[in-house]
Amino acid sequence: MYKHPYLRAYLAGIAIPTAFLLAIMTAYTIDRYVYDMPVPIERVIVFPMAAVPNAWGLWNLIFVAFLQKRHFPLGLFGGALPLLLVPGGYLVARLLNFTIPPVAFQVVPIGLPIALIVYYLVWKYFVGFLNAELGIA
Amino acid sequence: MSDREMEEMKKLAKEALPPMRDAELARDLWPAMLERLSTQRRGMPWWDWVLLAGASAGIWFAPGVIPALLYHL
Repeated sequence: MYKHPYLRAYLAGIAIPTAFLLAIMTAYTIDRYVYDMPVPIERVIVFPMAAVPNAWGLWNLIFVAFLQKRHFPLGLFGGALPLLLVPGGYLVARLLNFTIPPVAFQVVPIGLPIALIVYYLVWKYFVGFLNAELGIA
Repeated sequence: MSDREMEEMKKLAKEALPPMRDAELARDLWPAMLERLSTQRRGMPWWDWVLLAGASAGIWFAPGVIPALLYHL
């Protein structure tokens, strides 16, 4: 049970966004192909599909490797992840010539604090629970 | 495998796994288990409830953030 702690940390990290991806993909697919949403999401879907889960896994691995022994709060560390993901998502969208809807820029002042709070709570309770279950907490 | 080899194997297995001695517990573990279970039931602190309520209210008043949140989660 005490072998490969970093592998278990990575798996615990990717579990939440990977499971949640099913709901995201379903919502995007229905919006795009049933309600004809005029936003070509498929051009940037690689970010939530590939980059975000791996970022969660690596973030949890970094926490277990370097910060857990110093009793740094997991919620605060996980809550900081949007500060990397938001610019990363914006960069991916720009690199792929995805036209970001103007409303996205208007909701940033509200959306960023909400994202920080949601990430803080999800990491503190859900990822923390998985870390405990896998014996790395 | 012959009977002689089987007996030899049994003998080797018994030598490798000696019978347990002093198998009784030195102390009762149940009180410690109860204490641990009660510790785990502390639940969310009040400030996390405040944050959850704030985030929920923000999403309620500005539903335009939902696609952005889904994109980054």
